[in-house]
Order: sequence, then structure tokens, then C-alpha cells
Amino acid sequence: MTDTIEVVAQDRDTYYMNMGPQHPSTHGVLRLVLHLEGETIIEADPVIGYGHRAHEKMAENRDYTQFLPNTSRVDYLSGMIYNLAYCQAVEKILEIDVPERAQHIRLIAGELNRISSHLLWLGTYLLDLGGITPFLYGFDDREKILDILDRVTGSRLTYSYGRFGGVVMDVDDTFLRQTADFVAYFRERLTLFDELVIGNVIFQERTRDVGVFPEKIIQQYALSGPCLRAMGIARDVRKEEPYGLYDRFEFSVPTRSEGDCFARSLVRMDEMRESLHLIEQALSAIPDGPFMAAKVPKRLRPPEGEYCFAVESARGRYQHIIVSDGSDVPLRHKLMTPSFVNISAMCEVMPGTMLSDAVAILGSIDIVVPEIDR
Amino acid sequence: MIGETLSQHEGIVESVESNYAVSGYHHRHRAELAHVPAVAELFRTAGYYLEMMTCIDARDMGGNKKKKDDEEASDDAQPTGSLRLAYQFNRPGDPDRHLLCADLAPGSNAPTLTTVFAGANWHEREIFDMYGVSFDAHPDLRRLLMPDDYSGHPLLKDFSDSDPRREEMASD
Repeated sequence: MTDTIEVVAQDRDTYYMNMGPQHPSTHGVLRLVLHLEGETIIEADPVIGYGHRAHEKMAENRDYTQFLPNTSRVDYLSGMIYNLAYCQAVEKILEIDVPERAQHIRLIAGELNRISSHLLWLGTYLLDLGGITPFLYGFDDREKILDILDRVTGSRLTYSYGRFGGVVMDVDDTFLRQTADFVAYFRERLTLFDELVIGNVIFQERTRDVGVFPEKIIQQYALSGPCLRAMGIARDVRKEEPYGLYDRFEFSVPTRSEGDCFARSLVRMDEMRESLHLIEQALSAIPDGPFMAAKVPKRLRPPEGEYCFAVESARGRYQHIIVSDGSDVPLRHKLMTPSFVNISAMCEVMPGTMLSDAVAILGSIDIVVPEIDR
Repeated sequence: MIGETLSQHEGIVESVESNYAVSGYHHRHRAELAHVPAVAELFRTAGYYLEMMTCIDARDMGGNKKKKDDEEASDDAQPTGSLRLAYQFNRPGDPDRHLLCADLAPGSNAPTLTTVFAGANWHEREIFDMYGVSFDAHPDLRRLLMPDDYSGHPLLKDFSDSDPRREEMASD
């Protein structure tokens, strides 16, 4: 204890500052303890756990079906992707076949969810950087997606649309038409966003060459998602370990080589275009037929062993690790979330940057705090 | 191939192929805990990364599973067996997922992986927080999710929340 006091007394020019837990640009309850010298960051120490809801403990105390509503609450921005990922994980373990129509619906719903997540990132990121207008544009478009999904799923944020063996409700022609209309509409809007945001000189000045991830952290931290693809590495779980129908449709994995905040932004903008392309293909290929598997066992008892299932969420690789002891309650259910990895890797790039850049870096990583805390 | 090098390593007790189509793992290994950093180093030099790290409370909780049939027997039964640390390695590009498990007795220490993979830092802090496993030579072993002044390790199977503040809150 005495050591600490001595060091502080000698070193009068540095100080600690709390950013958060209640700070608008931490997107949830995250506290960053910043060690500063003037406005330059010496060290950043994220303090997490304010939103810890013990999802993993809950999973160990209920059967597989009862955990379904929890899944979309882990990351409320890609709730649909997380909900469907859990269904797909359990279906894979128990070898339940999912009808074609349900597979198509899942892909469309998942990609719509990815766009809505990226739109929220775009709006709030620009808000963090001082631009209020893009936030209104982003939320306007996001609202259209929420309305489309609301009609078929019954919820706007924390979806519980997936079931083991399919989805809970079929989609109708109105959904297909609304989605097709949205794709056409949003493609034009993306051009507008490019002009309004990406081409904006203030945005570029704030993000170019800021928060460049060093190459060594890719392997050291198992980085994934847009943060990784902004470093020039075209890796995506949808390509590496295809699930659902992702191996059937054509899409590319956008990359940039700079690894800075600007590159991460561009990758997300391009990803929205790829999602539109995927939705379009699925819309034209969706067959008629059942939306639920005919026979799904009532009591789910995976054989004893460890199981791992990975999907690509809006933020990167998300994994369900389920350890079964043969009973209908998992022995261990680990949720390996991308934001957890991304924020711990972020500590490596913070030192040496300015305080105002901390906001730019934090926003560009696109963390969802409840997903880190679980 | 990493597989051959691994199976010859002295720390590996058992090594089996796994059905990737169902389990998502290509290989499973059991290792002695003390050798885990050396094994991880093998993975690192072969270009693999540490995809996930966690702990599993695999102790037999004295007939907990049959609790409904045999309520009395489970009351005074002590848990037997051990905790299990699980490490998951994968490589970029062509997936090759390895699951490495090592048993440890509750309350004992484990070697840190932070010297091999910097990303293990937060994983180990979480395991320390949730399971009470201490990692030797970890640079910054603090609780990660629970408050600093919290006692108890929530993901242990015999955990019960004895935080006195809970009663205070309830009486308010």
C-alpha cells in the first residue's frame, strides 16, 4: 500500500479518471478506469459486470427449452441471431432436421437482424463522435426492420422466434413483400449514408489512423468479426463453418487492410450490402412447405459429452459450448461472446491515444455490454 | 500435423478423434494440468489460437441428480471428484478445433496461460471469479464480473448466495 502512495506522490502529472459506468458512449453500463497524463491515455482498465445476469448459471438450472427466452437477452442487438444460434446448436447435437422453408426464414430474419444491429452501431457511433443527424437516419431505417420482424415474431428487440426444429410462426406474403421493398429501399439509403457519413471529412479525421490494432493480437486474443476483417483478413464463420443455408447462397466477405476505426466502419457498411444480397437470394428461393419439423422429442437429452457450435453474429464469432451429462439439464453452458474478446483486446490499443480517441475506438469496436457481462 | 506432435507430448494423457459433424470438435485431449502451458505453446507455434477457456464443475454432488427420489441422502453428502479446466484451440482458415481438458482439485492452483496467449487474462479472471481457481503468476488476478468485495464463487454447483447484503436489501 505504501508503495502506491509514494508513486502517486512523485508522479504529479498523471491521474485516474472514471469514464462510466453511466456514460452515453459506453453503450450500457461499462466503466473504463483511465490512467491519464494530460489528455493522453497511459492505461485503460475496463471494469465490467454491472449487467451480469448469470445467464450461464440459469442455463444450468433449467432444461434446454426453458433457456430459449434467455438467448436473445445476452446480446439484445443481435437477439435474433443469438436465438437462432441456440436452436441450431441444440438441433445439431440431437440431429433434428429443419424444413427448407424454416431455414430460409431463419436466414432472412438473421440477416435483417444483422442490418438493424449495424444501423444502431452507425447511428450511435456518429452520435459519440458528435454528429446527431445520422442517428436519426439510422433509427428511421432500423424502425422499418423492427416493424417487419414485429409482425411475424411478436417482438421488436428480444426475439424468441426460433424453436428446435424450425420457427414458431410461418411468414406470409406480406412479410416477403415488405422485406423485398426494404431491400430495394435500403440499397439506395446505403448510398446516401456513404455520402452523408463515410465521405464526411470530420468523420474521416476522427477515425483514420485511430485505434489501429497491432497484428499480434489476432492470434493472442482470437479476434473475430468486423474488427478482424478490418485488418485485411477475410474470415467469417458463415464461410469457414457454414451453418443453415450459408453455403448455398453467394456472398463475399468484405475486408479492409488499415485496421483503424475508419476501416472497421467501412467493413460494416459493406456487410450491410452483403446482407441485402443474401436476403434477396433467399427471398427468391424460399419454398412452400412446413415451417416446423414434424417430430421433435419433448424431452431433450443430449448424449454425454462436450459440444461446440459457432455462428457469426454482428460483432464476430459467437459460440455455444454445451457440456451434457446425459440429463435434460446441461452440466455447463458457456456463452463465448465476441464483445468479451474484442474489449479485452481493446486494452492493448488504448495506451498512447488521446482521451477523445477512446470514444472513437470504443464505438468502432461495437461492443454490447450485456453480452460481455452475460 | 499438430495431432502427432501432441499425442507424443508427455503431458497428454489421452487423445481421441471426435465427430466434428455433431460435436463441433475435431479432437479431444486430456492433459495433466502442469503440462498445459507447454501444450498451449505447441498450439501457438503451430498457428493456433485460444478460442475459449472455461471451467466445468464436474464433481459428483452426492446424488443431486436423484434428489427427487432420495431427498434425505443428498443432504449430508459431500461432493467428490474434481473441477475440470477446458481449453479450446482452433486455427484460422481451415477449422481444426481441439478441446483440451485438465482436472484439478477444488481449491488448488492452476498454471497461467497468459504467458502464451495474452487473451487468457480475462478468461482466467472469470474462472477465478466464478470457480475460485487461482492461477499462479497471473499478472492481474482480480474478480471480473462479481464485485470486488463479494465472497463465494457463483458457478460452483454447491454455491449458495450467503451475501449478507441480500438480506439487508430484502428487509428494506
